[in-house]
Amino acid sequence: MSNNSVLKDEIKVDPGLLSEVRKYGKFDVKGCYNCGTCTVSCALTKDSASFPRKIIRYVDMGLKKLLKSSLEPWLCYYCGDCSTTCPRQTEPGEAMMTLRRYLTSQYDWTGLASKFYLSKVWEIGTLILVGGLVLVLAVLFHGPIVTSRVELNTFAPVNLVHSFDMILLFTLTFFVLSGAFRMYWFTMVKGNKVRMPFSLCFTEFKTLILHASTQLRFRECTDKTRWIKHFLLVSGYVLMFTMIVGFLWWFQTDNIYPIYHPQRWIGYYATVVLVIFTIEILISRFKKIEQIHKFSELSDWLFPILLLLTAISGILVHIFRYLGLPLSTYYIYVIHLIIAVPMLVVEVPFGKWAHLYYRPLAIYFQAVREKALQQQMDKGAVPTSGT
Amino acid sequence: MSNKVGACMVVGAGIGGMQASLDLANSGIKVYLADSKPSIGGVMAQLDKTFPTNDCAMCTMAPRLVEISRHNDIEIITFVDIDKIEGKPGNFTVTLKKRPRFVDEDKCTGCGSCILVCPLGKIKSSGNGDKKLKPISDEFNVGLSNRSAIYISYPQAIPNVATIDKEHCIYLLNGKCGACKKVCSANAINFEQKELIIKLNVGAVILCPGYELFDAKLKPDYGFGKFQNVITSLQFERILSASGPFSGKVIRPSDKNTPKRIAFIQCVGSRDFERDYCSVVCCMYATKEAIIAKEHISDLQCDIFFMDIRAFSKGFEEYYNRAKKSGINYIRTRIPSVKEIDKTKNLVIEYLTPDDRKLSKEYELVVLSAGLRPSKFSNEIAFKFGISLNEYGFCSTDSFTPVNSSREGIFVAGTFTEPKDIPETVTHASAAASNVLSLLSDDTWTLTTYKEYPVEKDVKTLEPRIGVFVCHCGKNIGGVANVPEIVEYAKTLSNVVHAEDNLYMCSTEATEKIKQRIKEHDLNRVVVGSCTPRTHEPLFRSVIREAGLNEYLFEMANIRDQCTWVHMHEPEKATKKAKDLIRIAVVKARLLEPLQRKKVSINRDVLVIGAGLSGMAGALSLADQGFKVFLIEKEKELGGNLRKLYYLLNGNNPQEYLKNLIEKVKQNKNIHLFTNVKISSIDGFIGNFKTEIIVDDKKVEIEHGAIIVATGAKEYKPAEYMYGKDIRVITQLELEKRLAKNWTPGVESSGSSKNIVMIQCVGLRDENRLYCARICCSQAVKNALKIKKINPNSNIFILYRDMRTYGFNEGYYTKARQNGIVFAIYNEDKKPVVIDNNNNLSVKYFDATIEKNIVIDTDLVVLSSSIIPYPENKELAQMLKVPLDQNGFFLEAHMKLRPVDFSTDGIFLAGLAHFPKSINESISQTKAVAARIGAILSKDSMELEGTLSEVIDENCDGCAYCIDPCPYKAITLIEYIFDGSVKKTVEVNESKCKGCGVCQATCPKKGIFVRGFKLEQIAAMVNAALQP
Repeated sequence: MSNNSVLKDEIKVDPGLLSEVRKYGKFDVKGCYNCGTCTVSCALTKDSASFPRKIIRYVDMGLKKLLKSSLEPWLCYYCGDCSTTCPRQTEPGEAMMTLRRYLTSQYDWTGLASKFYLSKVWEIGTLILVGGLVLVLAVLFHGPIVTSRVELNTFAPVNLVHSFDMILLFTLTFFVLSGAFRMYWFTMVKGNKVRMPFSLCFTEFKTLILHASTQLRFRECTDKTRWIKHFLLVSGYVLMFTMIVGFLWWFQTDNIYPIYHPQRWIGYYATVVLVIFTIEILISRFKKIEQIHKFSELSDWLFPILLLLTAISGILVHIFRYLGLPLSTYYIYVIHLIIAVPMLVVEVPFGKWAHLYYRPLAIYFQAVREKALQQQMDKGAVPTSGT
Repeated sequence: MSNKVGACMVVGAGIGGMQASLDLANSGIKVYLADSKPSIGGVMAQLDKTFPTNDCAMCTMAPRLVEISRHNDIEIITFVDIDKIEGKPGNFTVTLKKRPRFVDEDKCTGCGSCILVCPLGKIKSSGNGDKKLKPISDEFNVGLSNRSAIYISYPQAIPNVATIDKEHCIYLLNGKCGACKKVCSANAINFEQKELIIKLNVGAVILCPGYELFDAKLKPDYGFGKFQNVITSLQFERILSASGPFSGKVIRPSDKNTPKRIAFIQCVGSRDFERDYCSVVCCMYATKEAIIAKEHISDLQCDIFFMDIRAFSKGFEEYYNRAKKSGINYIRTRIPSVKEIDKTKNLVIEYLTPDDRKLSKEYELVVLSAGLRPSKFSNEIAFKFGISLNEYGFCSTDSFTPVNSSREGIFVAGTFTEPKDIPETVTHASAAASNVLSLLSDDTWTLTTYKEYPVEKDVKTLEPRIGVFVCHCGKNIGGVANVPEIVEYAKTLSNVVHAEDNLYMCSTEATEKIKQRIKEHDLNRVVVGSCTPRTHEPLFRSVIREAGLNEYLFEMANIRDQCTWVHMHEPEKATKKAKDLIRIAVVKARLLEPLQRKKVSINRDVLVIGAGLSGMAGALSLADQGFKVFLIEKEKELGGNLRKLYYLLNGNNPQEYLKNLIEKVKQNKNIHLFTNVKISSIDGFIGNFKTEIIVDDKKVEIEHGAIIVATGAKEYKPAEYMYGKDIRVITQLELEKRLAKNWTPGVESSGSSKNIVMIQCVGLRDENRLYCARICCSQAVKNALKIKKINPNSNIFILYRDMRTYGFNEGYYTKARQNGIVFAIYNEDKKPVVIDNNNNLSVKYFDATIEKNIVIDTDLVVLSSSIIPYPENKELAQMLKVPLDQNGFFLEAHMKLRPVDFSTDGIFLAGLAHFPKSINESISQTKAVAARIGAILSKDSMELEGTLSEVIDENCDGCAYCIDPCPYKAITLIEYIFDGSVKKTVEVNESKCKGCGVCQATCPKKGIFVRGFKLEQIAAMVNAALQP
């Protein structure tokens, strides 16, 4: 009862946390009675990282420090099992989704992520603003307009576009890396009792690559089809991204390759999966078919819509070029850029796109944590109070 | 002349309906007891044992079943549906439709020959090729066994007559068979029987149709109905029962092997978004089933998966602790699903440890603690009787009128209104009976009859002819001792002319047989070797009385409680001891003499001690029944603890109710009110009490026939959590007072923060006070919701161990969670700490899931402190000669079936003096007391026992040794002139005497003895006991 009894291993309650989190989406844990059904139902929960119950408790109790140092929201692939089994219908899966939005805004030092999530005006306004900027650049810097035949590389010289791509790439990489670093800082340095041998960061790096490219853990969820759909969508996206950023000179050409050429196949594959699965997501969200699509925030709509529009406008560029319609090709090309660039600028560092790196990073960090804990336990020092 | 009818219809003959019927019939109301099933008894008949005493359910209820079946003023109408009701309170006409059972109830003896010959009873499994003959699953064993198409639900069934299941009977379906008709020597089978319309004229109706067990198939993830070894709690109850499908052997359905690991899953069909109420009984019945199962299988592992263990009634917390000590595991996880291992048919359950690690465990058997649903008849009954149901489908009642339906003259009781336990059901039923008695107070004894016994045969001069009847008591006796061997032994004893055994000697069939044997063999003494005289002696005495013998020519050998139960694992020794006990009883029986009971007149006034809610409500009920009541209160003001309650969870205003209640009490001509009272002495016995009280320094003497103890209890003033040291630490009652006076939390604190921390179980559930005070969880929820209503921006944290918002209060707990009130669990061994750091108040507790000490800055700490008994209870208990329980509350006669009676006749118990309880529970309890008293005082006189003390004047020299030891103060010294000199002797007041025998033991001169326990009788018994 005296001041002396204040232990080091204690944490203060911030009653405002719940209402802060709730701004980022549905977080209806009010009816929750902490029964544990969600965590038992979850196929991904582990001893070292159990969710959703514990994480929901952090928010419910107002334990912000613990929440910010948690990797668990990212380890959840949102299969929705917890939400369907919850005896209180509190939608723990959606609560984890909301926490991913919240954490994205916490990792972001600019404050823009928070602005975009909390204000539709900010998000849509920024998209329009960046789109307008692209239009201005296109008007100012486009090359000669050849109308006799389609010469896209004359209208938008590959070198110029590539340079623009590179500037964009570096800028976004800077934000991505700074976000990733802050994530590392909150979760691995500040909020961690276990000492992290730096060597583990290298030895476990394979985890990052593996999960970033395959989302393998998604397969452990009860519904396997969701992983396949998601994997195909990601594969299309990654292929297209690689082609544009790394091989634009090969991808954006005025030569028409024969039908068996890999350039055409890659392009067709990528755009088709993008179109099919973004439409699938949008329909499911619209009709609230799957548990995970029952609740949709603006950010949940924007990413697939912009992705779909980018793919469709890309396909149209391709079609117009093949049909030999020069002006239509140039216009649609500019429109394509007006959609794609703002999408990347807003979504990659500040929006839903960020899960592409935060989630594999979390799996990677978690692997490092587990290895570090294992090493310490092997040495005989058990730091946590686990029973 | 009143135009009301002195009769009542009781719908539903479970333990509640039975209680109401007995209370009414004993108070002079003709009762029609109707049930849709072929026999009465309800769910309690299916139970093995009852918590927290582990008394055998059938053993405690069987005497009542028999009493009802033998009661002249209770007409049992089974296999019947309600058609309609017309009329008005005091004079209803109820139309019933009695379904044909194809057996003449008057002719059938319940011998069971028909059941044995029915071809449908012989089918072993459904796979015998004949598609037409499918086994019929036995409802009583919840589908774990099969039955014939003609059947009697259970061995002790009342009425003990067979019923033909027309859905399955081969004869009724296609005109062939008729095997039962051929074999029935009573000629009772009647395939032509038609539906019977019965019209009854009654003054009131009590509805107690009971509940339905939740259909676990609606939760497919548990695999009930799909996995053979996933069963419901009621099925497990049957498995545990000696009369169950496996004769009391605990085995699992799939392979009939003994399970080594059993899991109990709680809250199946309770406490979810579709059924947002708590079923009240499941935590304790799972605990009981686990304890009993472990008694059957010593190395059994039992895991109970729960959310909150709701052990909130008297003795429950202690029972829960006992279960934990015996090695039963309680694991706090709500289980979402069960998986079956195909090969072994074992089951796998995944669960969480307190620190949130996921584990999985394999079990041989999984028991689903299925919740209580409204009766399947609820909607129909509500429609036909024009009464309203609540949102959950149970009958709606009001806090202050807990047994009234929305229609006048129609009363409700038991689980029809809310899930409840047996004692609460019994209490509720008596309360409903009390309301009927108030309504029909002018019409009692108008439609009743008197039971005439045959003239007693004079046996004084006859050579003893003894009949010995040995009971198997299901498996209780027969499963341990060799009963046939005992019977054969009994036949060898001198004067024994007949001996036989029976599965249940207390069944109607068996008692009829006893009467028959008395006539056949001209028996003049009867010995029954069975359970215990405590419950069954009155029954057998009455049986031999019906056969023309004096009731005291009966002797009981206690071969269950004192033999097979204690020597469960030594069958041979048990058999030998049972023989010894039978021999001793036979020797005593030879010396038995007929005794007569005396009648004493009774005073029909009632003393009510304590004028709080219970005292006043009880006094009013009795006054309404027409009794004169002396209501005494130690304080100046009336109202007791109710004065401190300002609002209820459902929004009702108790202060308004209290004002009305006080007004009614003060104006009632039958109630004589005394305040500022001190009791100086209580003397006397049932029917004739004399109490001296001091009112304002003046002595007043009151004569009365019964007493209600309604002295209440008080809030504990905590010594913990800085209470009394910091003004920011207060109790729930203190908070309620502030909130009632429009105090806004947060306003008076300096900053913007307005945090409130409530701590549950203060001064409770620990080594100092073992019990749970039942209502504090609901009280905290109530006050927290009130604060949120006043100031939605306040942050409220409730630190608890188990939230015990039982019944419909669960809905308010959910509401509290939804309103953003934060609930956190603290561990018993790491209690929260209140810290005052430079005037900043905070509460620290250890959170096991988060594995951290958590500090909450707060402006106010509210302690949900215990309700404790008054220390003065001790003194009052001594005056009344009644016991207190280990916690200092008054102790009732029997926790299940006599919840408002004391073991001392004529003294009753209501309200917080018994145990902490809510307003509606106090009201039902006090009304129940009113009904029990009504049953005693509605008659002019009372019969005494025959076995009382008697003085042999010529032996007594007035030494007075016996006077002081007599615990009932029944003996006085007198002097008279005899042969010219002073003769001293003692005299016994028979009304006070209990026949305990202390006087006989102290007397050096053989001058005083107890009839039926004479020294020579006892000496003979001792000699018989010492015989090799």
